[in-house]
Amino acid sequence: MILLVWAFTFFGSDIQKIDTVGLQEIEVISPAYERFGQGQKSIKWSQKDLEAYQSRSLADLLADQSPVFIRSYGPGMLASPSFRGSSAGHTAVFWNGIPLNSPSLGQSDFSLLPVFAIDQASLQFGSSGALLGNEAIGGSVNLKSQAGFQEKSSLLLSQEFSSFGNYQTNVKGSISGKKLALQSKIYHQFAANKYPFRNLALPGTPIQEQDHAQVIQKGIVADLNWRISDNKSLKTSIWLHQAEREIQPPMGSSTQDFQEDQALRWSMNYEVFKKKSTLSFQSGLVREELIFNEIENNTSQFILGGTWDYFPTEQLSYHSGARITLVKGDLSTYAATDERLEIFQSAKYSPTNRLSLSLNLRQLGYGDQLVPLIPGAGLDWTFLEQKNQSLELKISAGRGFKVPTLNDRFWSPGGNPELLPENSWNVESGLHWKKNSFSQSLTFYSMNVDNWIIWLPQGSFWSPQNIRKVRSDGVEYQGSMKFKTGAVDWISQWQYSLNRAVSLVGISQNDPSLGKQLPYTPRHQAGLSLQAQVQRFSIQAQTNYTGERKITADNPRTLSPFFLADLGISYTGFSISKIQIPLQVRIQNLLNTQYQVIYLRPMPGRSIHFTISFQL
Amino acid sequence: MKTKLLQLGQVFVSLLILFSCIGNDPERPLGEYDRGILIMNEGSFGSNDGEVYHLNPSTNELKPDIFEAANGRPFAGLLEDMVNEDDKMYLIANTGKVEIVNPGDFKSLGAVTSGLDQPRSLTVNSGKLFISDYGPYDANFNTPSSYIAVVRNTLGGTVSKKIAVSRKPEDLISFGKFILVAGSEEGKVEVIDAEKEELVKSIEVEGNPSQFFEIDGKIYLFSSKADEVVIYTFHLDNFTLATSNWYPIANATGKIALSNSNTLYILTSSGWPNYEDGIGVLPLFGTSLQPKWYEGSGFYGIGIDSSKEEIYVANANGFQGNGTITVLDKSGNTVRTFDVGRGPSGFMMK
Repeated sequence: MILLVWAFTFFGSDIQKIDTVGLQEIEVISPAYERFGQGQKSIKWSQKDLEAYQSRSLADLLADQSPVFIRSYGPGMLASPSFRGSSAGHTAVFWNGIPLNSPSLGQSDFSLLPVFAIDQASLQFGSSGALLGNEAIGGSVNLKSQAGFQEKSSLLLSQEFSSFGNYQTNVKGSISGKKLALQSKIYHQFAANKYPFRNLALPGTPIQEQDHAQVIQKGIVADLNWRISDNKSLKTSIWLHQAEREIQPPMGSSTQDFQEDQALRWSMNYEVFKKKSTLSFQSGLVREELIFNEIENNTSQFILGGTWDYFPTEQLSYHSGARITLVKGDLSTYAATDERLEIFQSAKYSPTNRLSLSLNLRQLGYGDQLVPLIPGAGLDWTFLEQKNQSLELKISAGRGFKVPTLNDRFWSPGGNPELLPENSWNVESGLHWKKNSFSQSLTFYSMNVDNWIIWLPQGSFWSPQNIRKVRSDGVEYQGSMKFKTGAVDWISQWQYSLNRAVSLVGISQNDPSLGKQLPYTPRHQAGLSLQAQVQRFSIQAQTNYTGERKITADNPRTLSPFFLADLGISYTGFSISKIQIPLQVRIQNLLNTQYQVIYLRPMPGRSIHFTISFQL
Repeated sequence: MKTKLLQLGQVFVSLLILFSCIGNDPERPLGEYDRGILIMNEGSFGSNDGEVYHLNPSTNELKPDIFEAANGRPFAGLLEDMVNEDDKMYLIANTGKVEIVNPGDFKSLGAVTSGLDQPRSLTVNSGKLFISDYGPYDANFNTPSSYIAVVRNTLGGTVSKKIAVSRKPEDLISFGKFILVAGSEEGKVEVIDAEKEELVKSIEVEGNPSQFFEIDGKIYLFSSKADEVVIYTFHLDNFTLATSNWYPIANATGKIALSNSNTLYILTSSGWPNYEDGIGVLPLFGTSLQPKWYEGSGFYGIGIDSSKEEIYVANANGFQGNGTITVLDKSGNTVRTFDVGRGPSGFMMK
């Protein structure tokens, strides 16, 4: 099937007949709001792009449509990102500019971030500590929810019924005038996850039904966007989320762990626009409660900051700011606080509309520690621009860093207050070619991560140390094409990534993992999607290939590569009076592939999802 | 006759087992794994990637993952202990199961796959399996409901009874119809009547009792305290303490190996803040005690190939990847090193 699609994509169409209208999936361009991220690869999803994932998590979106490898422990279970071989904690995650990573764990669980709750998402690849701050080592994820000025009201009720006893309900309402826009979303997901799997841990490897993987997630998001005057605006959002999960044990274990996650997130942004400058004040709060088998851990982060953007000429722009973060952790074995102050400065120079150069700097202090100055620089140069095609070169270099988490420093027993921040250097270069609606990009990168923190057994308990040094090199190729054959509008996207991530320094000189690919880091990943639309009918096919992974760098046991295919059919022609009733049927894992992303954690086979929506 | 990791460090025990096995079942030909060294790799918490490696010491050929190779499926558990009794090899996973395999080729014979929580060790008595189990954790990660699980079939099946014992039972050893249980957390040795499936006696001991071993028909118990270790023997007619001897070996971890010259090699770890590991040497019937015979870090298991007078030290390498085995001669010089699976924690010399 994939061969046919590839062949058709390349040879079976006339790209000169491209209709520029169509659903836009992924743009491999620098996002406009990342004005100083020259030279760095990025991917952006608009609100429309995210429509197909309204009942799924951010983990599903990234696994399907990006080179980020998602280490998933099962459907609805822990799903952590790995950008270019880095660890889950090497990914900065922001919602409306507020960092979401847990200050105690230093990472986010992407299965607890429903796509329905957000309106835009983007990925920034590589180390960009100067631009984005703490934890942006392998990459960063920027999420946004925002009420738009549509000058109309809308209401959406969407209900999905799925295999394995799963269903999801989404409700979204918005009201907007010229000066005030309000939006609210409510979601509820129940996933019994009673899917069959072959239990490799039992004699005879019988087929069994998963019986301890139920997930319930619910939440509410409210966004307000207020144009106070011609040059002042206020945006604020609040997001309440709760998840109750039976933790799916690995095959061979019968643990009955239960985890409850609750989060309160609030963001506020006040902007004042002037003739050649913009002043912005930002504040935010993230409070999280995690209860694991009745053991309670609470954390909170309060953020207060301000930025000033200055545009003295059309060629020059500056961005300066400062941010204070107050962190508090009240965990089962310790209580701790942390204060962080950071100042940052960016400058961009665009001598022509084909060339842009940027320089970014950041200085951060936490507790009595000062992180060394974090620089970053980049260049975008469109060195070939003709009527219907362009060729752009991107080059960037930058540092990243990660402040040791509260657990790293204060966990009792074992926490190590003497830990240094992890730090990284990243260089990358990319070529982006566009011809009409056909585009391709090729990115080469190399990254060194030093002082990588790992927890090692020390007598009767474990303790973290700055030990590992990792080198990650790779290539990422992406392409997209829109074309038309008869009455059918087509969109196709494809990607391939090659990554080599190895330890240069390990726990000893004789560490057998030195020079070998990091665990759970596939060298090869590929994806292909194809969408065809005829009037109100639409068919989408999505395929992904993930190469083999070692469960430890030096272990002879490997996890087999897997190939997944999804198929979706949508019809938007039904309506009753003014109520539109879109219908969608989606088949995930069409080929019923039996696979594990993490060793002995079985993933579900084929599932069918039926969605009916009522839109006013 | 019970064969556990520890006792199998002794050549004479190995020979006894070998001949007793042949004597008990003359029709079973010797398999590939009836000779050589079995290396137990515990695996990493949450990964269930425990496995057994086999080393042919004559050729140094190392075969990984012999359970998976023999059965076409992974072991899928954290391998806590291996027990060779009743002409069967019992592989105990502290993740909640016991796999029973043919010792010669590791082909599966049966299993106990339900009714267990955190099994630690096992003994066969009166045609039944007796499995020590920590029991489930409570909200504070304590194990107040430890037990000995009874399975009335040596080829596995269902747990028919749970006999409550003191917290965190470890090793078991059979004597006639009785079973001694090392109650590690509360400092008790508990005696179970295997026929009646009842706890009949409890003996108070010092420290954290962890391992039994036999010498000349006598049952010994190894118990560790912060600054010393204690070796007990028992009157087996009325199950009372016979002898108690204290030795100044600090920070013993509970992992030991016994040579055929009745010398105990004891793993030690200083813990925080220096994390210095070591091996103490204790001649049970001699006087040349060496509390720090060998020093290093990351030690996680120990065994003795008495035929070559070589000590095998397992290093878990922080569970970050594969472990390493260092082979020492009787003077503590490194003979060779080689990599094995994740979290190597013990050896069975055959």
